[in-house]
Order: sequence, then structure tokens, then C-alpha cells
Amino acid sequence: MRIYKILSACGTGIATSTVAAEKCRSLLKERGIRDIDVIECKALEIASKAEMMNPDCIIYTAEIPLKKLGNIKTFRALQFITGIGAESLADEIAAYLKSLDNK
Amino acid sequence: MLWETLSKELVFSDLDVSKRDDVFETMGSKLVGLGYCKSTYIEALKNRELIFPTGLDVNGIGVAIPHTDPEHVEKNAVAIAKLKNKVDFIAMATDPKDNITVPVSVVFMLAVSGGKHIEFLQRVILLLQNQQALSQLVNASGPEEIINIIRKGEMENENL
Repeated sequence: MRIYKILSACGTGIATSTVAAEKCRSLLKERGIRDIDVIECKALEIASKAEMMNPDCIIYTAEIPLKKLGNIKTFRALQFITGIGAESLADEIAAYLKSLDNK
Repeated sequence: MLWETLSKELVFSDLDVSKRDDVFETMGSKLVGLGYCKSTYIEALKNRELIFPTGLDVNGIGVAIPHTDPEHVEKNAVAIAKLKNKVDFIAMATDPKDNITVPVSVVFMLAVSGGKHIEFLQRVILLLQNQQALSQLVNASGPEEIINIIRKGEMENENL
């Protein structure tokens, strides 16, 4: 079983990204995705972190330079902060991660 | 829980301000004055908000969660304000240049020290996800009522 790698970015790298990461982890678990590694980082460091870590996807709660991230799938994850739409965002991320296995 | 640590001094009901910087100065100076934050906190908060804005639309209620890097903070705290008049904040995770604003009624100003802060942050976020508590906060009068709403909201969250 592979481990999915998710990068979670916010302005400080320790505030909303950690809350989003926790929420993401628990909602993906409910969807049968248990082996995940979620790393938090600062939005300003996202390009270098992404290059180093090569994540399966990125979730973000602060603006990030999408153009610098190549083909990495990104999800704006305010739903994990406000709670509104969190379940459907988790569905989307789970479906995306599962689709990677078929490639 | 948050309400247990929340002093009346960090709760502002009907904060009468007309712009964002006034919010940062009034609430921020309290956090600095009570020793939760260093004197650099307020400037850092203003600068951070310009680059990484924190306005959130929570089902029609505007909430902002301004915060900044841990080096400006001594210990974890949250200051809470219900604004007398709505103040525009830029929406979180948008480019400030696009000027997408949220009219904010409730502010949770976070002092995040970087230590054991995740549980504390989650409590604040759970609270803003509590629709009922949030809509009561908007209509609250007086710090005691605000703390009481938060206490009840946290009890409900605990029972989820």
C-alpha cells in the first residue's frame, strides 16, 4: 500500500494549515485512506517544498503561486476551516488520490 | 476549553472601529499589554494581513482570524471581538490585488506561540464552525454574554 503525500500551506505554516491538515487527515481516514503523510509549510516556501517532497496534492489556506507548481493537483481548502463543504472537498481529494492508483 | 482561559479583558463587545488597522491596534494592544504578545505583534499582524488575508464567509457571517508568526508571540491566546459595524477584510486564500472582501462582524485574533498550539487552534476553529454560537455572537451584548455563548458552544462541540 502506498503512502499518499499531501502538502498543506498557509501564511505562517503553523496556523490554518495545521488545522486544515488535521481535518484532511481525519476525513480521508473516514474515506478509507489511512496511509497519508500531511506536511505543513509556509505559502512562501511552497515551490521549493513541493519540489523536495513531490506531493500527490497540495491543500492551501493562503494564496500560493499556482503557476510555479507545475502539474501538482491543488485544492483551495477553506472548507476545512469554515467547516462548510468540508465533506464534499474530502470526497474530491479522496477521489483524486484513488484515481492516482489507476494510472 | 477556551472559555475557561478567556478573560473579560480579551473580549470586546460592540467594538466601535471603522477600519481594519483600528481592529488590529485595539485588540492587539490588549494582547501586548497583558503580556501575550511582544510589542512587534501589531505591526506584524498588519503586514501579514496585507499578504495573507484572513477574512472568512461562514454561511453569511463574516469572520476574520488575523494572526502572525510565532516570534511576535509570548504565549497562546485568542482575543474575540464583535464589531459594532462591519469592517471589510480581504478573503482568505485570495490574491489581495483582486480585492475580494468579506464584511466582517466577528474577529478571533490569534496569538500563536508555536509550542503546543494545535489543540488550541482547533478549538477556535471548531467554535467558528458552530453556526448557532456564531449567530448568537453577532447579537451578543457585553463580554459576559460572549463568554457564555462560547462556553455553551464549546460544550456542544464537546458532545458531537
